[in-house]
Amino acid sequence: MLVRYIAKRLGLGILQLIGLVIGVFFIIRLLPADPVARLVGMNASPQAYAQAAHQLGLDRPLLTQLAIYLGFEPSVQPGLLQGSLGASWVTDSLVMSEIAQYLPVTITLVTLSFLLVLIVAVPIGMLGALNPGGRTDKGVFIYSLFAGSQPEFWWGLLFVYIFFFRLGIAPAPLGSLSPMTDPPAPITGFLLIDSLLEGQWSVFVEALDHLMLPVVTLAFVLSGPIIKMVRQNMLRALRSDFVLYADCVGLPRDIIARYALRAAMAPSMTLIGILYGFMLGGAVLVENVFSLGGIGQYAVRAVLAFDYPVIQGVVLVITAISLLVYLALDLFHAAIDPRIIV
Amino acid sequence: MATVDVDTETASAARPRRRVDALFVLGLAIVVVVAILAVIGPWIGAYDPTLTTPDVSAPPPSLTELPGLMSTWLAGGPAPHFLGTDTSGFDIFSRLMAAPRTDLVIALSANGLSLVFGLLLGLLAGYFRNFVTELLMRVSDVLQSFPVFISAMVLVALAGRSTANIVIALAFVYTPIYIRLTRAEVLNQKNRGFIEAARALGNRELTIALRHVLPNSLAPALIQSSVTIGFAILLTAGLSFVGAGVRPPTPEWGLMIASGANEIILGEWWSSVFPGIAISITVFGFAVLGDALERRNEA
Repeated sequence: MLVRYIAKRLGLGILQLIGLVIGVFFIIRLLPADPVARLVGMNASPQAYAQAAHQLGLDRPLLTQLAIYLGFEPSVQPGLLQGSLGASWVTDSLVMSEIAQYLPVTITLVTLSFLLVLIVAVPIGMLGALNPGGRTDKGVFIYSLFAGSQPEFWWGLLFVYIFFFRLGIAPAPLGSLSPMTDPPAPITGFLLIDSLLEGQWSVFVEALDHLMLPVVTLAFVLSGPIIKMVRQNMLRALRSDFVLYADCVGLPRDIIARYALRAAMAPSMTLIGILYGFMLGGAVLVENVFSLGGIGQYAVRAVLAFDYPVIQGVVLVITAISLLVYLALDLFHAAIDPRIIV
Repeated sequence: MATVDVDTETASAARPRRRVDALFVLGLAIVVVVAILAVIGPWIGAYDPTLTTPDVSAPPPSLTELPGLMSTWLAGGPAPHFLGTDTSGFDIFSRLMAAPRTDLVIALSANGLSLVFGLLLGLLAGYFRNFVTELLMRVSDVLQSFPVFISAMVLVALAGRSTANIVIALAFVYTPIYIRLTRAEVLNQKNRGFIEAARALGNRELTIALRHVLPNSLAPALIQSSVTIGFAILLTAGLSFVGAGVRPPTPEWGLMIASGANEIILGEWWSSVFPGIAISITVFGFAVLGDALERRNEA
C-alpha cells in the first residue's frame, strides 16, 4: 500500500517536472530577450553573431533545441535523459556541477533559519494561543503580521549597519568565509560539515560567524507566517474535545499544552515544508546582501546574463527539491495518520 | 436593571458586532496616506526626484542645523536636503515622497490584472469541472509552488525591464492565488438554492455563472487584494534591488535601498534606511488592513 502510494506520488511529481521543464523552455525562448547579442555585444558583425548563435545551438528549430535539451539527440550533446543539465553559456562549465557548488550554501542558510525560527516561534505561538484575546496574544499577533510583511533585504542591510559597522561584532557581509581563509577541501560541499570532517574547528566557527546575520535576517521574516500558523493550529487544538476531556479530568495545564502542541504540529509541518521549498528560491535577496554565493545569487546572475541553460537548471532543481520535501512530509503525515493513504 | 442587561446581550448576540477595530483603522490610515502620496508625492519635495544635485553623499541635517537651513531656504537659498543625498547626489526626501507613485501604480495594476484573470479562471474552474479546468488547476499548482521571486525575475529580465513588463510579470505570479480562492468559493456557492432557482427559471449556464455565482464569490479574492498589493510592493522593490526591476533614475523605494547598499558598510546609512522604513510601514499597513477585512468577513 505504502509503496504504491509513494510510486503514485513520485510518478505525478515527475509528470509535473516534465511539464515544468517544457513550459519553462518555451517561455524563456518566447520572451523577446536576445542572449546572443548579450554574449557577443551590440556591435558584433553579423558573421560573429551568426557563429555565436550556431555555437549556442540557437539557430536550430525550437523543437530540435527542445529534443537536444531533453536528451533525445545524445550524438549532439547529452541532455536531461543522460542526466546532464547542459553547460552555462557564460562560464562554459557544467550547470550540474555549478549547482552542486552553490546549492549547499542555500540549503545551509535556509535550514539553519528554519531551526532558529522553530526554536523561537513554537513557544511564542503557544504563548499567544494559551491566552487568546489577551495582551500577550495581541502582541504576538501584531508581531507576526509585521514580521511577515517586511523587506528582508533591507533588514539585512540594517543588521549589517548595526552589528558590523556600529558594534563591530559581526563580520563584513562579503561571503561565507573571510577572503584570507582557505576553505576546506569539498567533501560534501557543505562548508560547515566539511570543516568539521577535516577537523578545521576555526574554519567551522568562522563559517558560523558569517552565517549569523543572514540566518537571523531570514529567520526574522520567516517567523511571521510560522508564528501565525502555530498560534492558529494551537488555538484549534485547544478547542478540541480531547483537550476539553483532559481539562475535565483535571490534568495540569502544562501537560494539556503538551498534548495540544503535538496535535498542532502535524498540520504545521505541511506549511513549514511548503515554506522550505519556497525559501530555496526566496532566499535570493538575503544571499545577495551578504554575498553568500548561494543558488539564488547564481540564478540572479544567470537571469541578468540570459544564460538559458542555467535558468532552466535552477528552476528544475528547486522544483524537484520542493516536490521531494512535499513527498517526505506526506509520508511523515501518513506515518502518524494512516487514514491519509486510501 | 437585570432585564435590560439581558436584552442588550441578546441584541448584541443577534446582530454582528461592529466594534471599532484599532488594527483596521491603523491599516486603513497607512494605506490612505500612501495613496495620497501616490497622487501628490512627486510635487512635495523641493528637488526633482529624477535629477541629481551637486551635493553628493550629504548626511541628513541634525535637528539643530535645521532652523538655520530653513531660514536660508526661505531667504531664497537652496532647499535643505531633509534626509540627505545619496552617492549620485539625488535628494532622498524628494525621491522618498515620489516613489509611492511608481510602487503603488505597479502594485495596483498588477493586482487588478491578476484579480480579473483569477476571478474569471477561478469561476470557470469551479463552475465547469472538466479535463481542461482540472489541467488549469494542476498548472496553477505548479506555478504557485515555485518561488514567486525567481519567476518574476526571469519574466521581467527576459521581457525587458519596463514598468509594463513588471506589471505583467507580477500579475502572472499572483493570478494562481486568486484562481484558487475564487474556485473554492464558487464550489461553495454553486449548489445553493438561489442557483437552483436561477436554473429552474431557464437561465443559461454561462449566465448563471456570471450573474449569480460570480458576484457571490468575490469576497475572498477582494480581501486577498490588500495583502497581495503589499506583497507586490515588496516584490517590486526586491526586483529593483537585484537589478531586474525599474531602471534608475525612476524614484522607487527598492532602487533607493539598492543605491545605498554598498555604502552602508562604510557607515553611510541614510540612503538605504529611509526608503526601507517607508516600505516596512506601507506593506505592514496593507497586511494589517487585509487581515482586518478578513476577520470582518468571517464575523
